[in-house]
Amino acid sequence: MSGAVTAPAMDVVLSASGVIRRFGYRTVLAGVSLSLRRGEVLLLVGPNGAGKTTLLRVLAGLLRPATGHVERHGAIGMVAHDAMLYPALSGRANLRFFARLHGIADLGRVDAVLEQVGLSRRADDRVGTFSRGMLQRVAIARALVHEPELLLFDEPLSGLDAAASRTLVELLASFRERGTAMIIVSHEMERLGRVATHIVRLAAGRLGPVESLTGRDPGAVFAELMRGDL
Amino acid sequence: MGSTLRAAWHIAVKDLAIEWRTKTAFASGLVFAVLVLAVLFFSRDPTTVSATDIAPGAMWVTFTFASMLGLNRAFLIERELRALDGILLTPAPRAAIYWGKFVANLAFVGAIEAISLPLFVLFYDVPIWRRLGELILVIAMATIAFVAVGTLLSAMVVRTRYAELMLPLLLLPFLVPPLVAGVQATAPLLDGRPLSDVSGWLKLIAGFDVAFVTLAALLFEVVLDE
Repeated sequence: MSGAVTAPAMDVVLSASGVIRRFGYRTVLAGVSLSLRRGEVLLLVGPNGAGKTTLLRVLAGLLRPATGHVERHGAIGMVAHDAMLYPALSGRANLRFFARLHGIADLGRVDAVLEQVGLSRRADDRVGTFSRGMLQRVAIARALVHEPELLLFDEPLSGLDAAASRTLVELLASFRERGTAMIIVSHEMERLGRVATHIVRLAAGRLGPVESLTGRDPGAVFAELMRGDL
Repeated sequence: MGSTLRAAWHIAVKDLAIEWRTKTAFASGLVFAVLVLAVLFFSRDPTTVSATDIAPGAMWVTFTFASMLGLNRAFLIERELRALDGILLTPAPRAAIYWGKFVANLAFVGAIEAISLPLFVLFYDVPIWRRLGELILVIAMATIAFVAVGTLLSAMVVRTRYAELMLPLLLLPFLVPPLVAGVQATAPLLDGRPLSDVSGWLKLIAGFDVAFVTLAALLFEVVLDE
């Protein structure tokens, strides 16, 4: 985890070095370096406007860094603020479309992932008729349909009710056990702190030191990290 | 190449499925087509201008502006919930997005033209049946040119606030050469003259097809990155 730690190359699913990203004259990411290995779950925290969403989009390949480079080893799934879906299509049709683009021949996988997020019964309803929470669940299903090695989440619990949040946290824990690496932007320490293995703070486009959460109280580490922002 | 074609096919099918479900662009395109044909027909003075004189221009004006509604929509459906990002996260080649949209737009514009053409005959009473095959060839060739550049520009303007306004402003200058050639090739065909009489115009449209399709396909990835 992070540029300071060298990891066996075959375990690394994501590495970024010296990433700088500007929007016009504003520098949003000012030299970010990090690496992530299989099974590691990094909680990315920081104040509003720190560049968390931009960092996720650069890591996912949706934005090109001005300088620096990002290497991804394996497929990526991402859940962002926007669901990345077509409102006019049903949940099932959306997932089938993305599954086909991922080269998945067995579309039974779509039904399996819909079951996983608890949307089997509404799978044929138009996504445009869904509540925010249900939309988020389809977005999560879209991110999982191709069983990616790396998952990027931007506020994954936003809009989910208590039961759906619990299900998602359990799902994330099971992915971690299977070796899926994840970066999660969230301040939901109580629920996601149990899933995360590391935490890092991004402020003014720069990453702080990566803290391990193993054997530590996530809430206390988070409070320590965010002290400057409160 | 195979993966690009496969992904392009899935994207085209998805776009057409969305249009089939919503029918918003198609319905408005068709209403627009009827309106333009009717207005142009009734605005002429039949004692000084014959229907056949105005017919080629009326046909191309109708096709162009009705089709623009579909071209506009091609990338607006990607913007609503940022679905395009979902495609970019897949291993599908970016060129597949262009080709998928291009095929879907061609099908959309082709459908508008297929329905507008009989209406055009109804209003203007022009004998298109004598040279129907040749006329369809001219229409298809000019359509390829403006769909090629329209698909590219639609991707370019979709992130601007006034995408619906920007597309015609940017697209129309590019459309003038193939449209002029299309009108010039259509008029003799409506008079019943053979295709050989318009071969020069056909070659010009073919040149625009090659240039526009090649440039648009090459520039599309740059547009996506920006």
